[in-house]
Amino acid sequence: MKHTRPTGRPSKAVDALLLLGMLLPIAAGIALKVLLVPASEGIEITGAYIFFTLPLPLGGLPITETQVNSWLVMLSLLFLCLYLTRGLSEKAQTKRQHVAEWIVEQTEGLVTSNMGEYFAGFAPFIGAMLALSAFSSLLSLTGLFPPTSDINVTGGWAILVFILITYYKMKCGPVHYLKSFAEPVAFLTPLNVISEIATPVSMAFRHYGNVLSGSVISVLVAAALQGLSQIILGRLPGILGEVPWLRIGIPAVLSVYFDLFSGCLQAFIFAMLTMLYVGGAFPAEDYFKKQEKKKAKRLQTNNN
Amino acid sequence: MQTLEIISINFWNVLISLCNLLLLFLMFKHFLYQPVKKMLAQRQATIDLQYEQAETAKSEALAMKESWEEKMTTARTEADGILENAVKSANVQSREILDQTRERAARMITRAQEEAASERRKAEQEIKDQIADVSVALAEKMIGRELNADDHSELIDSFISEIGEDDEGDK
Repeated sequence: MKHTRPTGRPSKAVDALLLLGMLLPIAAGIALKVLLVPASEGIEITGAYIFFTLPLPLGGLPITETQVNSWLVMLSLLFLCLYLTRGLSEKAQTKRQHVAEWIVEQTEGLVTSNMGEYFAGFAPFIGAMLALSAFSSLLSLTGLFPPTSDINVTGGWAILVFILITYYKMKCGPVHYLKSFAEPVAFLTPLNVISEIATPVSMAFRHYGNVLSGSVISVLVAAALQGLSQIILGRLPGILGEVPWLRIGIPAVLSVYFDLFSGCLQAFIFAMLTMLYVGGAFPAEDYFKKQEKKKAKRLQTNNN
Repeated sequence: MQTLEIISINFWNVLISLCNLLLLFLMFKHFLYQPVKKMLAQRQATIDLQYEQAETAKSEALAMKESWEEKMTTARTEADGILENAVKSANVQSREILDQTRERAARMITRAQEEAASERRKAEQEIKDQIADVSVALAEKMIGRELNADDHSELIDSFISEIGEDDEGDK
């Protein structure tokens, strides 16, 4: 065959392309922001910038920074996956293979230890959730709008989790599902229904609120530091007085907490809650009992 | 400025985000988890195979070692037997050789003694004859007539044997 390359180290050119594929979406996002989004003046706390709105029913589809940045993060992650899994071999020769194996093994360990062996297939989902959430939050490090500070994004994820919870609760049939609301006592049913609905709402608002509050506090602190800088150092001669000296360095410390730590932590919390809710929603004992009964029945009918 | 409100819920945006997560899930599954898990399964298979091969090789080696040890012990006993036989036969041979040489030596000694004795006897005889001749000659001179040696041989012999006895007594 002409096109098969000798097995061994993957070629550098393709690696470079993949790395470029990882970095280029972020750069494109920054370029888009610089070119299209007008700089905010003073203290302004708003949602995402709307590029254009598609005329659709139910209020139209505004294509905002949120959507664009989400897609850029996903594109970046896709190239990251391709980069990590390039040149996989049984004898791990590259560092990236160790990283890929580590990611897979860690998420699988996390999923099976929290949800049980039955949910082992959830590992890619939880991995995707962790990655999307964390990298969306971390996008604020580059100065871009973090998609996770939009309630629509975390709301969409939470609704997906709610669907999963309901799906696994329904595993034993709709009767079993409806009965589960009347437990442990019948008059608690309204409370159970409320808590069922509260689950996705609280998940969505927790994540969204944490990331947004980080941005809000960062903006407030930056503005406050600018004012403070003008008061204390404003009398320095010439241009020296105009430079907001106090804004250098101090916001970075806050950024480490709000963007790095909080972003990763919220991603982890969201994934953790997903695993616990979905894992807890599955009535494993009843389900397996039912399966066994079904099997026994089938055997009986076959014998007859 | 065209921006969203801080809290603004839009159905399509929620749907897009939901689909985004599902899409990323599929991407992760196809491009990260499946290749890695496939590779891990292959690695496991190779490791299992190698373990199996190692086990068989080990058992083979053990069997070989046993057979070799057996062979070694038999060889050692054989060698011991050969050595013992060799020592035994060597002993026997040396004894035989010693015996033969002793016998030969003894034979040689006896022959030498016999020869010596016969020589001596011959010499004695000669001396006797000479003495007889000399004494006959002397007696002829002294008596003046011829004596018949044969007639008087008895006398001469007794005389000579007396001399011999005297000689022996001197020794």
